Amino acid sequence: MILTGVLLAVIGLGLVGWFAARARARLLYTGRGSMHSMPGYHGWHMALWILVPGLLTWAVWSGIMPGLVNGAVMADPAAAQLPAEEMHRAAILAEAQTLAANPDAVAFDAKSQALAEPMRAAQTRFGFMGAALILIAALAGGGYGFTRVRARFPARTHVERAVLALLLAASLMAILTTFGIVASLLFEAGLFFKDVSPIAFLTGTHWAPGNARGVDIDGNFGAVPLFWGTIYIGAIIAMLVAIPLGLMSAIYLTQYASSTVRKWIKPTLEILAGIPTVVYGYFAALTVAPIIRDFAGSLGMANPSTESALAAGLVMGVMIIPFVSSMADDALAAVPRAMSDGSLALGATRSETIKKVLLPAALPGIVAGVMLAISRAIGETMIVVMAAGASARLSANPFDSMTTVTYQIVQMLTGDQEFNSPKTLSAFALGLVLFVVTLILNIIALRVVKRFREAYE
Amino acid sequence: MNSPDWNSPAAAKRLARRHAAERRFKLIGLGAILLSLAFLALLLFIMMHSGLGGLSWGFLSGSDSTDPHVAGIWSATKGSILTMLVTLVLSFPMGVLAAIYLEEFAPRSRWIEWVEVSINNLAAVPSIIFGLLGLAVFLNTMDLPRSSPLVGGLTLALMTMPVIVISGRNAIKAVPPSIRDAALAVGASKVQAVFHHVLPLALPGIMTGTIIGMARALGETAPLLMIGMRAFIVTPPGGVTDPSSVLPMQIFLWSDEIDKAFVQNTSAAIIVLLAFLLAMNGLAIYLRNKFEVRW
Repeated sequence: MILTGVLLAVIGLGLVGWFAARARARLLYTGRGSMHSMPGYHGWHMALWILVPGLLTWAVWSGIMPGLVNGAVMADPAAAQLPAEEMHRAAILAEAQTLAANPDAVAFDAKSQALAEPMRAAQTRFGFMGAALILIAALAGGGYGFTRVRARFPARTHVERAVLALLLAASLMAILTTFGIVASLLFEAGLFFKDVSPIAFLTGTHWAPGNARGVDIDGNFGAVPLFWGTIYIGAIIAMLVAIPLGLMSAIYLTQYASSTVRKWIKPTLEILAGIPTVVYGYFAALTVAPIIRDFAGSLGMANPSTESALAAGLVMGVMIIPFVSSMADDALAAVPRAMSDGSLALGATRSETIKKVLLPAALPGIVAGVMLAISRAIGETMIVVMAAGASARLSANPFDSMTTVTYQIVQMLTGDQEFNSPKTLSAFALGLVLFVVTLILNIIALRVVKRFREAYE
Repeated sequence: MNSPDWNSPAAAKRLARRHAAERRFKLIGLGAILLSLAFLALLLFIMMHSGLGGLSWGFLSGSDSTDPHVAGIWSATKGSILTMLVTLVLSFPMGVLAAIYLEEFAPRSRWIEWVEVSINNLAAVPSIIFGLLGLAVFLNTMDLPRSSPLVGGLTLALMTMPVIVISGRNAIKAVPPSIRDAALAVGASKVQAVFHHVLPLALPGIMTGTIIGMARALGETAPLLMIGMRAFIVTPPGGVTDPSSVLPMQIFLWSDEIDKAFVQNTSAAIIVLLAFLLAMNGLAIYLRNKFEVRW
């Protein structure tokens, strides 16, 4: 509570510093060329000298304060009767913290009631201590900054250097995120592979994490049925819908449609890509799946299930259409006009030109687009969660219920679970496989697209 | 070798066949578009048909409930708004600053190449992977409050940032070099040229990209499932650290309900979500048309 106030105070100080330094710099101005930097830069320089030390101290103190407070509370006589066990003690301390913040809260453990008072005292003590430290840091920085307001002082150069550092830090966020993904997936998957052998995981065909106990743990974590379901739904059924429809739409829009038609149809088609996947999932489960079940029933299948690979794949395919279409659009547009003009001049019809000249020339670009589309389809989650089902089976029957990698990740990590059991950790192993596969698809596709563009430029 | 007889019946027949093939091909193309659009129309029609009746003031202002007739979406809407605020506050400045650095200041080095590769890849990483990251880092390592808009917003910000960077770079690239040169020629520093002249001209493009990225984040469900935002929330969240739900999650939760009356609620919530998305995209298109400068 105190710390939040101090944070605002530091920001306020920064503002005051900005005005003060600017005002002083203005007083120093005696005419053209008398100063190195504009007054505003002196203001920014000063504000940085207040904010950077102040905020850094604030961040450090917020990090270490809970430890200090708990240490002080543990030293209190009332804490002597706390259980020695780590988990239990932490729970009571957390409860005391809630009580300290809000005396009306209900405590489940009487011990925490006794600790609330020392907790509040310690919080106040360390809060004021931190506030003093932070303010000293900010004021010291500000004092130093203020002495630098001189006519010849290159405030602008200093401020610009700080701006560049900020820009660099922002762009390094992307690397940090990638690193965070790889590190967290590798770490958790590493814990999983301590219990389950990677070979059994990648080649086993029996997936039943619920039964995984003791010695036969390896036999119940065979992920091949999940991989098959993912490929069957995302890379086969969805692509059978998306490639012909997306490619033919792109061909029609670029080669046949008038520019007015194109101007209206293209954004309308793009709406398909903007609809949230949860809406597609609901649509698949509510409308498409029952139709497919009845259809399977009329084909003579016994007990067709409501959840089917076909329903999920079909809807996913529709979702991908605009994506394939715009990739194909780009690929067709990159083919030099002279090639199709040459073919038309020889007397070929438009469709012959498209089939014999344009498509072969644009093929690498189209293939790359399809790879990106596949990578998107296999990472898609909500549609399969809502429409594909939970049964892990190796089947080529599209009317069967099938499960996918993403479905199982959701399944393993939601609901009741203790963390660090092989069951929950398996989600991270599946996530790792998914990440690696999509990464490879993306990298190859981006390479191909780049190479393909260069070939025609 | 005798020259072909162009007027023979055989030639005429061949020509007719080729023209028929041409017409067939064109029809197939038109059919593909119409089929896609028909699917879109069907989806929208079904949602409207089963959801419009459920839209009322009580529905918009109520909170989740086990009784479908009093259940509403205000708590989920408020959760969505808070989550989007966190996402915007984090991803917009970071994305714009990163785009400026990469486009205007970055030296050609191996490091920068890594940054570019990782941004392009992050934009294509499945969203559920970001959920796993959020679970492992924000919840298990940093102990931030579970199912809160804060964690949801952080996770979605990481997902949205690459989109903003990519669109920001394109917008900055589109500003002609003559603007920079003119600023530099009258004595501006490189930082001044970028922040005073290039950035304001690139801003409409950046805003368009940001809105599109935010619209995507607003419809996202999978990463939020990972960080536990599927709780049954009856009171609207008071702040970014309270447990909360978001609109797509509410749709997902209701779609699982057995009670038939929830079908209407789900569809009505979908209509609200789509209306939000449509408004955002409309705003993006408006901004682009109004402020875009063709150089």
